Amino acid sequence: MDEDKISESESTIAIERSIQAELLLLLGQRPSHGYELIQRLNEADFKSGEADAATVYRNLRRMDKDGLIKSHWEVGESGPGRRLYKLTPQGESSLKLWAQYIVQQRALLEKFLQAYFQLEESLSGNEDGVN
Amino acid sequence: MTASTKSLRIIHAGALQRVMENCVERFSIQNPGLNIEMKGVGSREGAKRLLSGENYDIIALADQALFAELLVPDVVKDYFVFAADQIVIGYGLLSRESKEITKENWIDNLLKPQVSFARSDHHLDPCGYRTLMVWQLAEQFYNRPGLSSALEAACNSIYPKSLDLSSAVFTGNVDYAFLYSSEAQQLGLPYIALPSRINLSNPAYADFYDRASVTVESKIPGKNVIIHGNPIEFAIGLSKQSQYPELAQSFVDLLTGPEGSSILEECGFIPC
Repeated sequence: MDEDKISESESTIAIERSIQAELLLLLGQRPSHGYELIQRLNEADFKSGEADAATVYRNLRRMDKDGLIKSHWEVGESGPGRRLYKLTPQGESSLKLWAQYIVQQRALLEKFLQAYFQLEESLSGNEDGVN
Repeated sequence: MTASTKSLRIIHAGALQRVMENCVERFSIQNPGLNIEMKGVGSREGAKRLLSGENYDIIALADQALFAELLVPDVVKDYFVFAADQIVIGYGLLSRESKEITKENWIDNLLKPQVSFARSDHHLDPCGYRTLMVWQLAEQFYNRPGLSSALEAACNSIYPKSLDLSSAVFTGNVDYAFLYSSEAQQLGLPYIALPSRINLSNPAYADFYDRASVTVESKIPGKNVIIHGNPIEFAIGLSKQSQYPELAQSFVDLLTGPEGSSILEECGFIPC
């Protein structure tokens, strides 16, 4: 695990950009167009809250511009043509980095919860002592 | 034939007026001397004009489903979704009850007898049938039986296309209008954004939108067709009869490329 890279990215990763990680993961599973990605994102177990069309399309354009994904127009066989998005090697690396970052955050959150439960237990013990 | 004698004809949804003007301005710089004719109409009307024999090189419509229903495969071979939008309630600062209306109480305010509101014609314009769908979905979403009929009965004005609605609100002819978010933004109109479950913006709710349906005139005179709700998507296609298919394709490439995306965003659309 590249610790330097993670701590560097940690400072720049804002929580609202987590939608990019989610889109990278979905595109890693299979190439999709925006319409389908919005549906898949809203059905995903890891998504909390609603992903609206404007946010998804805006992030797809930004990720395309940043080289994390690439797109081309695909003619529809029985429906409209749509822009199809695919993950690039740079996007794969970014997804890996996101996963490492999330593992690190999970460890920190677990430590927080551990400390909180200890506090809760000690407070409950004090209350018992008072009673 | 020189560029100066060529004429490219575009028929487009009225809602795309400003987008098309901006694209034509940039395309004209790249193709000096080219004559470009534009016609803005309600999209359903536009598709029917093509069916009746009017010739255009490029067709840009407010509902991608119109291509499959009316134009493919006879008039158009392929078509591409390039923008999304949502239905909102636009109003002016002098509109009655404008200081009271919110996302939560819009129904009760619109149904007040002193308030006027408008929609576009569902037989001519997708914004018209989408508005009727929004009312049906609102009836279910807010659990208010009879709401859709009440709004239909209270709606005072029906305009041919959605672009006429923003002008009507802007000039104070009506207090409120159901139109696209992009149209309200282009004129700087304040608007009420509706919940995404009813504003036809989110593909995640496609199944719920599908519950709404509206009867409109079909391509066969005297016959009707039932259309169902779906997320709002604008699409563009080339006419198979185009005299200048390469030139027309270049215009489509501009609209669906980075330049077009910037123009769409500036005009309040969501580029797809």
